[in-house]
Amino acid sequence: MTAHAGDAAVPAPPHSHRGRYLAVWIALLLLTGLTWGLSRSHVPGFAGVAIALGIAIVKGTLVALFFMHLWDRPGPSRLVLLSSLVFVALLIGLTLLDVSTRSPLALPPDADTAPEALRRTILEEEAAGRRSPPERLPRATP
Amino acid sequence: MSPLPAGDPPVYAARNYLNTPATGLRSWLTTLDHKRIGVMFLVATLVAFALGGVFALLIRIELLTPGPTIMDAMTYNRIFTLHGVVMIFLFMIPAIPSGFGNFLLPIMLGARDVAFPRLNLLSFYLYLAGAAIALWGMIHGGADTGWTFYTPYSTTTTTKVVPILLGAFVVGFSSILTGLNFIVTTHTLRAPGITWSKLPLFVWSIYATSVIQILATPVLGMTLLLVAIEHAFGWGIFDPARGGDPVLFQHFFWFYSHPAVYIMILPAMAVMSEVVCAFSRKNIFGYKAVAYSSLGIAFVGFFTWGHHLFTSGQSPYDAGVFGVLTMFVGIFTAIKIFNWVATLYRGSISFKTPFLYFLGFLFFLFFGGMTGVALATVSLDVHWQDTYFVVAHFHFIMVGSTIMAFLAALHYWWPKLTGRLYSERWGLVGAVLIISGFVFTFLPQFLLGNEGMPRRYFAYPARYQALNVASSAGASVLAIGFSVVLVYLLVALRHGPVAGSNPWGSRGYEWETSSPPPLENFEVVPAFERGPHEYHDLPAAAPGAGEGRHA
Ligand SMILES: [Cu+2]
Repeated sequence: MTAHAGDAAVPAPPHSHRGRYLAVWIALLLLTGLTWGLSRSHVPGFAGVAIALGIAIVKGTLVALFFMHLWDRPGPSRLVLLSSLVFVALLIGLTLLDVSTRSPLALPPDADTAPEALRRTILEEEAAGRRSPPERLPRATP
Repeated sequence: MSPLPAGDPPVYAARNYLNTPATGLRSWLTTLDHKRIGVMFLVATLVAFALGGVFALLIRIELLTPGPTIMDAMTYNRIFTLHGVVMIFLFMIPAIPSGFGNFLLPIMLGARDVAFPRLNLLSFYLYLAGAAIALWGMIHGGADTGWTFYTPYSTTTTTKVVPILLGAFVVGFSSILTGLNFIVTTHTLRAPGITWSKLPLFVWSIYATSVIQILATPVLGMTLLLVAIEHAFGWGIFDPARGGDPVLFQHFFWFYSHPAVYIMILPAMAVMSEVVCAFSRKNIFGYKAVAYSSLGIAFVGFFTWGHHLFTSGQSPYDAGVFGVLTMFVGIFTAIKIFNWVATLYRGSISFKTPFLYFLGFLFFLFFGGMTGVALATVSLDVHWQDTYFVVAHFHFIMVGSTIMAFLAALHYWWPKLTGRLYSERWGLVGAVLIISGFVFTFLPQFLLGNEGMPRRYFAYPARYQALNVASSAGASVLAIGFSVVLVYLLVALRHGPVAGSNPWGSRGYEWETSSPPPLENFEVVPAFERGPHEYHDLPAAAPGAGEGRHA
C-alpha cells in the first residue's frame, strides 16, 4: 500500500521479520496441538472449555499482534480492533442473556441430559452405518 | 461557478468521465474511476430491482383470489423468497451506498478517487459474482425458505438453498469492501478546507453506513456459511437433536439483518438531507444533530436485533430488554425528522420531483417508524408477528423510504450523472403515481395483518379478498409509475436539454464541478471556504429557475 497523506506520520516498518513470523507460526502450531491433546484427555466440563477458550484467545492475540501488524502500530489501529471486540461481546452477551434466562418450563424435563444422549445415539448409528451423516431427523409433520 | 443560473447557456462538459479515457465497453469494465463504478452499480442494481419487481407482481397476481390463481404453493414459496433475496441483497443494500455513494462521496470530499480504486472495482465484480451464483440457484429450482433462511427449515429443505446462501455470502464481501473504502477515503482524502464539521451530510450518513457494513456483514457471512455447512454435512449447530439451537440462528442472522435495515435507511437519510436543503434553499437546521444522529442510529441499531425473536422462544427477559432498546432508535430518527421539517420552515420551497419524493419519504418514514415502535412492544408484537402488518410495516419504512430516496437521488443528481435534464412534468407524474401506488399497495396490508392474515401463504379465507385486490391494484399503479420513470429518463439520456454544472442552484460541493464531471472530478484541487449547505448568503430565488423553458 502506498502511504496516503494521512498516513505519513506513521512510516510503515520494513517487513523483515522472517524470524518473528516463523516463531509465531510454530507457536500457533504448538497451541493447535495442545487444543487437540486437550480434546483427547477429557478434562471435565467447564475447566476443559475454559482452557480451550484460553488457548484460542492466545492464538487470536498472536495473529492480531504479529500477522496483522498491531505490534508495530499502536494507537488508532489497535483502537479499531478493540472497539470491534465490543460488538463481538455484544453479540455473545445478549445471546447468552437469552439462553440463561429462558423459562425452565420451555425446556423438556430432561433438557440438560437429553441432547447429549441423543447425540451419542446418532453418532453410534452413524458409526454402525445405519445413518449417513447428511441425513436429518424425520420432520414431525409433513 | 456562479450558484445562480446566469445569462450564459448551460454547457455540456466536452471532456468528461463518460468519454475519458475511452468510451468502449472494455474501458468501462476495467475502469478504476469511482464514477464509472458507481454508474455500473446503479445499472446492475436497477436490473436487480426490475427482477425483484417482477417477482413482486407475480406475488400480487397470485393473491388476487383466495385459492390458487396462477401458480402452486411451492412456486409461490420460491417466488416470495426470490423477491426478498433479490430486493434486499441485490438492490436495497448496495443501491444507494455502492451506486450514488461511489459516484458522489469522492467528489463531495474534493478527492480524485476513493482511497483504493482497485478494491472498488473488485467490489463491483464480487457483487456480480454473488448475483450470478444466486441467479444460477434460482434457475435451478430456487429456494423456498424466505429471505431469512430460518433453521431448521433451511437446513432440511430440498430446494437449491446453498447457491443462494453462497451468493448472498459473496455479495456481503462486496458490501464490506465498499464500506472499508469509504471510511478510509473520508479519513484520508478530504480536500483542503473540508473539516469534519464541513462534511456534506450525505458523507456523514454514508460513513455511518460503512461502519455498519464492516461490523455486521461478517456475522451474516459466518451465519450463512454455517447454514450451508449444516445443510450439506449436518453438523448440528442449529439442530437441537445434535445439541444445537435453532434460535441461535435467529440471533446470528438478526445481529446482521437488523443493522442491515440501517444499511438501507441511512443512505436514504443521506440523500434526503441534501435534497431538503437544495429545494428549500436553506441551511440545514442543526447540522451537528443530523450528522451525529447518523452515528447514533448506527450504534443503537446493534442493540435491537432481538425484537425479531419475541415469539421465537427467546426468554421474556431478553425480549423486554430488546423491546426497550429498540425504541431508542426512534429518538435518533425523530431528531432527523424534526430537523428536516425545521429546515423547511420559512424556506423558499420549490416542488420539483426530488422534493416530492422527499415528502413521500417523510410520510413513509414517519408512518413506518411509528408502526415500528408499536411492533417493538412485546405484547402487541405477539398479535402482529408474522402477519401482513409486519410486511406492510417494513415495506413502508425500509422499501418505501429507500425507494423514495433512491428516486430522489436519481432525479436530483441526474443532471450531474448525465449532464442532461429530465422532463420535470413527467417527473411529477411519475412521482405521484409511485407514491400513491405505494400507499395503495401497502395500506390494505396493514389492515389485513391486523385482521390476522398471516404472511407467506398463497391461499387465504375469502373474507380477506377485497383488501388483497386493493393491494394488487396498488401494485399495478406502482408498476405503471416505474415504467413512466424509466421511459422519460431514457429519453432524457439522449434528448434531454443540457443541464450545465448546477441547474438546481445547489450549494453542495459536487455542483461546483462541470456536468458530467471530468475524470479527475475537479480541474484544479478545490478549496472550500463555505459549508456544503449554506444558502444564507444567497438571494432567495427558486432553484432550477434557469430551466423554466423545459418544465
Ligand atoms: Cu429489526
